[in-house]
Amino acid sequence: MPGGSEPLISQEWQPVPGAAGAQIYPFIRKIDTLSSNSYLIQTDDTILLVDPGGFPEQSENLVRIIEGLRKDHDRPVFVVLTHAHIDHFRGTQDIPAFAHPNVIVFAVQEAGAAVLECGDAKMTQAELLDQTISPIRIGLPLLTADRAGSFGVPVFLAFSNGASVTITRGQTPGGLARERIEFGTGPVLDVYHTPGHSPDSICMQMGGLLFIGDVLFAANPGIAGIPGWDQSALIRSLDGIESLLNEGGIDVVLPGHGRVITAADAGRMFSSIRSDARALENIVELNRERSIETAAFAEDCMEQVNELFTIMAGRLYYVSYVMEELGEDDIAKEVSRLIKGDVIDELLDVFRSFSDEHHKGGGVSIHLALKAGQVIGKLQRSFDGPELSHIIDPALVQRAARLLSDYTTMLRGFCPPSERTECDLVRHLEALVTGLSVPACSDDDLLSSDDDDSTFTRLLLNRIGMQPLLSDVTFSFSAGEKSLVAAVDHDEFTDLVTYILEDLVGVGADAITLSVQRDGNNAVVTLTGTGCTASDAMKSGGGFLGRLSDRAGGTLSSAADGRQREYTIRIAGLI
Amino acid sequence: MEITTATRDGATILSITGRIDTATAPTLEQAINKAIEGGNRKILLNFSAVTYISSGGLRVLLATAKKLKQPGDKYALCSLVAEVHKILKLAGFTTIFSIYPSEGEALAGW
Repeated sequence: MPGGSEPLISQEWQPVPGAAGAQIYPFIRKIDTLSSNSYLIQTDDTILLVDPGGFPEQSENLVRIIEGLRKDHDRPVFVVLTHAHIDHFRGTQDIPAFAHPNVIVFAVQEAGAAVLECGDAKMTQAELLDQTISPIRIGLPLLTADRAGSFGVPVFLAFSNGASVTITRGQTPGGLARERIEFGTGPVLDVYHTPGHSPDSICMQMGGLLFIGDVLFAANPGIAGIPGWDQSALIRSLDGIESLLNEGGIDVVLPGHGRVITAADAGRMFSSIRSDARALENIVELNRERSIETAAFAEDCMEQVNELFTIMAGRLYYVSYVMEELGEDDIAKEVSRLIKGDVIDELLDVFRSFSDEHHKGGGVSIHLALKAGQVIGKLQRSFDGPELSHIIDPALVQRAARLLSDYTTMLRGFCPPSERTECDLVRHLEALVTGLSVPACSDDDLLSSDDDDSTFTRLLLNRIGMQPLLSDVTFSFSAGEKSLVAAVDHDEFTDLVTYILEDLVGVGADAITLSVQRDGNNAVVTLTGTGCTASDAMKSGGGFLGRLSDRAGGTLSSAADGRQREYTIRIAGLI
Repeated sequence: MEITTATRDGATILSITGRIDTATAPTLEQAINKAIEGGNRKILLNFSAVTYISSGGLRVLLATAKKLKQPGDKYALCSLVAEVHKILKLAGFTTIFSIYPSEGEALAGW
């Protein structure tokens, strides 16, 4: 094994440990979703190309190396795919050398062979990534149902590229179906069926090297739930691969994306992937429609995240400003440090630039969705919700946290949670608007705490930071009946009404009315603001608030007329 | 972002066009500081063409409020679009400086 910190060196020939006469040329790429790593192996009997990658230049480069090897010593060539996802083979499609079955034979697990032979855009992920593919002829389907009947009996096969191989079906002690392929007298290739990431996923072993395809990423957001993904199969495969690693004899693990790792590191990673995979019950399929939907949700969310985080940062700056005015410079500094405004602005700018480029260049929805996931993950780590809640409105902080969490949930393949329970809309709305009209900290609280400096400071910060939303507007609430009970998601409904009230207050409404009425068997909640700043843009049913309203259990519509804005939430099925 | 500066009724009016974000907030701060250092203590920011303000932009607005606190100093914003008005209102900034519907209404009070 080569020295240095990496178990294998990219783009250099080196011996395959434990497989005399075999050499490997790894082509390791920086991790992305567009193209896989590739691995070229040569023995005296054959040349194997594992995963030619998603980019034509990558596949072409490898073909040139193969041509050089064949000039020195002509041997049959096999392209072996760890699975039939586009980022592992798309690069071969426009290169004529890969279309000559008398030179190169493609091998993939039987289910992947069926997918490639018919050019299935859904199962290859071509559809998800907005790409097209041509059908590929598969000369060597692996781990076939036919050969399962010849357990332990060698099967001889001859190929159009001149190769004759012997395949023997077996099973590992950990329960993985295995085929041992002998290309001649040299080292053998063991192929293991490890479905989960896709039905056709395989791992392969030659000597001390284990090629594992994409199993390391199979529980990741944006990957879990893709067509063909199977949670229970994945967990069984992870168990089987771990057992293989525990048997010994494997030194290095070669993933489909990212750097090569030691067997010990791989063992640790598999434990964590298995626990992630176990948590993925009820995941919905990540197909093209969901990817477009997630990207649209991402943009709506990011717009809202932008607004909420700017308001929270501004509120802290405001508190800090007032404390400075009061001569409390140290507290002012401490408060302004509670939110990393620069970091937040930078993250939001990054997403905006990415989104602009995406729309200019007709980008792929899943990439926009994943970028939003990345930005949201960093935002989640950049703010301390509980600490902020001592100073600014906890409901604002909770809404920001819920927004980030809902997005991550959707990206991970779950529907954002919606738990509808019976709710008396009249009482609930009354309580909500009362909470938005009175200060969180009363004058009495403030005056009774003056003996204790730290309590006084905390209450003062609280009083300055938490300004009741409805304190400066003329507000009226009316209900057609004493009680109107309907099934809504309590949190989502509260958020929806609060967002709308914030919108009306924010755009300068001097009077707001909130009414809840019966209309047949429906409840109709109407929020009207008058004296608003005129604007063309109004949050409407199609965007963020529309989705929120759906999750809350209602249908939202809105109208603007000059300086008046009106939102209507219709909730069907009064109880 | 673009800034044009004009003088009217003894006030310096900075009219800003575009987004006030991480990249552009320092430019706005420099323009405001330049006006103040030039002896102009009545500053009106016309936001009619400001489409977005980030937290960096909010910091510039507060920093300006801190600089214009002497008797006779004036500092206000005018003509905000609804989305920017909402950010300033909900952040609590409308209690620190005045916001007017138009330049004329702002200057009438000065």
